[in-house]
Amino acid sequence: MPTPVKMPRLGESVAEGTVGTWLKNEGDWVERDESLAEIITDKINAELPSPVAGRLAKILVKTDETVAVGVDIALIEENADVASAPPVAAAPGPDAAPVRSTEQAATPVMESARASVGNGMNRANGATTSRQESPVEEEERQRISPLARRLAHEHDIDLNQIAGTGNGGRVRKEDILAYVAQRQATPVAAPTMPSRPAQPAQTLSLPTYTAYAEPVPPTAPPTTVGADEELVTPSRMRLAIAEHMVRSKRTSPHATTVVEVDMTNIAKWLEKNKQDFRQREGYGISFVPFVMKAVCEGIRKVPMINSSWTPDNKIVIKKHINLGMAVATDAGLVVPTIYDADQFTLAGLAKQISTVAQRARANKLTIQDMQNSTFVVNNPGTFGTIISVPIINQPHAGILSMDSVVKRPVVIEDDAIAVRSMMYLCLSFDHRILDGAGAGGFLQAVRTKLQSYGREIDVY
Amino acid sequence: MSTVTYLEAIGQAIREEMLRDEAVFLLGEDVGTYGGAFKVSAGLLEEFGPERVIDTPMAEAAIIGSAVGAALMGMRPIAEMQFIDFITCGFDQIINMASKMYWRVGMPVPMVIRGPAGGGTKGGPFHSASPEAWFFHTPGIKVVVPSTTYDAKGMLKAAIRDNNPVLYLEHKLLYRLPELREELPTEDYIVPLGKAITRRDGEDMTVLTYGAMVYQCLRAAQTLEQEDDLEVEVIDLRSLSPLDLETILESVKRTNKVLIVHEDTLTGGIGAELSAILAEDLFEYLDGPITRVAAPDVAFPYAPPLEAAYLPNAEKILTAARKLAAY
Repeated sequence: MPTPVKMPRLGESVAEGTVGTWLKNEGDWVERDESLAEIITDKINAELPSPVAGRLAKILVKTDETVAVGVDIALIEENADVASAPPVAAAPGPDAAPVRSTEQAATPVMESARASVGNGMNRANGATTSRQESPVEEEERQRISPLARRLAHEHDIDLNQIAGTGNGGRVRKEDILAYVAQRQATPVAAPTMPSRPAQPAQTLSLPTYTAYAEPVPPTAPPTTVGADEELVTPSRMRLAIAEHMVRSKRTSPHATTVVEVDMTNIAKWLEKNKQDFRQREGYGISFVPFVMKAVCEGIRKVPMINSSWTPDNKIVIKKHINLGMAVATDAGLVVPTIYDADQFTLAGLAKQISTVAQRARANKLTIQDMQNSTFVVNNPGTFGTIISVPIINQPHAGILSMDSVVKRPVVIEDDAIAVRSMMYLCLSFDHRILDGAGAGGFLQAVRTKLQSYGREIDVY
Repeated sequence: MSTVTYLEAIGQAIREEMLRDEAVFLLGEDVGTYGGAFKVSAGLLEEFGPERVIDTPMAEAAIIGSAVGAALMGMRPIAEMQFIDFITCGFDQIINMASKMYWRVGMPVPMVIRGPAGGGTKGGPFHSASPEAWFFHTPGIKVVVPSTTYDAKGMLKAAIRDNNPVLYLEHKLLYRLPELREELPTEDYIVPLGKAITRRDGEDMTVLTYGAMVYQCLRAAQTLEQEDDLEVEVIDLRSLSPLDLETILESVKRTNKVLIVHEDTLTGGIGAELSAILAEDLFEYLDGPITRVAAPDVAFPYAPPLEAAYLPNAEKILTAARKLAAY
């Protein structure tokens, strides 16, 4: 039984991927995690590691072909010795979303009915075993009714684009029908075909994004432009960003709070040591690792800032601090992850930032780079801004913007006025999870850490 | 023209069929002199005489066995069980004789077994049975459960005229219910067996039910409309064997959610078979789990509070329907 290799999900809001190059040919032997192919999406290009060791039995999706996330793109036959062994459970891609088996169908009435069986009999046991769900890939599964799945297939809909309104976020009939109605009313929605011919990625229409990006009333006429206007069809990345932003604003009640931080000592240290540091280490250092370090400190004080509100109204607090870092690339905004940011020194963070940013700009981010962030630090200050109100990167609890460090006259101790290097830190937070007190406490901790540095700073 | 009760409609059907066809006769415990334990056959002995309205010993195997023999000889017997619970005493005659005879020797067995079924009358474990599932499982016998006065008469007439053995289950709770009083057509009519009827139209969910539960389902459906803005379709199956799959499948294909309600116990009940059919035929039309509301798998209780807890009712149906709607 060959193991299917699935199109991975490269980034939160990416629905499709294109096979850039196959790095292996049919018949080749591959090790586990050895690169199989290059995958191109609107966000990043990445090499796809093999989920298992074995022989690449079949390539299902040709070079330059684009398929939805989760679609089988190749089959790998594991060791011939085990060919006669029982079928191996299909190893899904890193973020494949197989369908969860339906929740147990018992009604409360039946539950009480069962409970009332005095002798228990074998009935209860039978019922329990049959309802045990497969433990495989539990957390990644999407809930969907059989009807919704069929309708999605018939309408060529990527289920990952649909937010279910049933219990536990289950996608059900009305979700699909509402989506179809919306899509039909969306002017830029081009007809999609069940099997798409190979096309360059950028010419692919992605109606699935548009519906979310800007919900259009069913009766809205197609957009027309006048002679003095130009109609632009957004790129896939633009649409992906649009979808994410709209979803985030709809999902989280954003509240924003701002503190002012005295960065004078850090600024002076940087001014003095920046050049040496780069020459010595081969990568630069800026305000960003300082802020990240301080953010880790703040998260330790207020762990709730590093959490997620779940669809079933729970809060999941993340033990790892994986900081997303917003990077502007030629193609648009990407937010790669720095794993376990709290484990690095300032220099270590500077190195991480430098390598991740380089990978992003060179379009070389990996699948791993695009996943698992728990909080984002954004640095619009590089564009000279002084106050920014960021939108949360879902499903985080907050996002921090650091703006330009500028010299200002500031009232310091003893009511003296001094020229200090000042910076505003803006925290947008999900008001479901945190109140002003928690957010303020976090910012306070970040500021305290940033202002704690003296003239001499040990970055190692 | 006056109205009649569900019980009187059954009596009318027997009388009219006896008038129409000399082969039709009634046998059972106390059906003659006493006029039946519930007075279904009151007056029939006087009208048709002791050869066609036969008081039997308390021996259900003998009653049913005699009916099978008579049917094989060309008669159309109606065998009454005083309470349907006692049908088990005649089980062998039904399973091994009545239902198999046509396949075995090619001779039809046109007979009806009828009697009061169902609970809610504080009748305890021996006078409240819903025995349909045992016979529903058995090929060669039809099982019908009328829920209205019109159907009670029309289906019994159809059952008497049918060339197969038919188990006709009367719900004793409905016998004299004033709400079920109805003015029936003066002319002869039948309600064909094997046809379900939609008692209430809806697009959000299909409720499949039969017998007295039809009324509990209709009450729940009304609440769902008023409080939950849900339009629930209620289908009265009427005929369990054969099932009207056309009506059932058409409705579920449209509503995509199905709730099955019966007074009989849950396990291996009518709902179990309906679930299997729907899962097999309409899996990709289902937008939620096929859900059943039924009595728990215990003996029918005697104590009134326990009986109330045991029987499915509008409230339990409502709970299940809301859960299914939210799925």
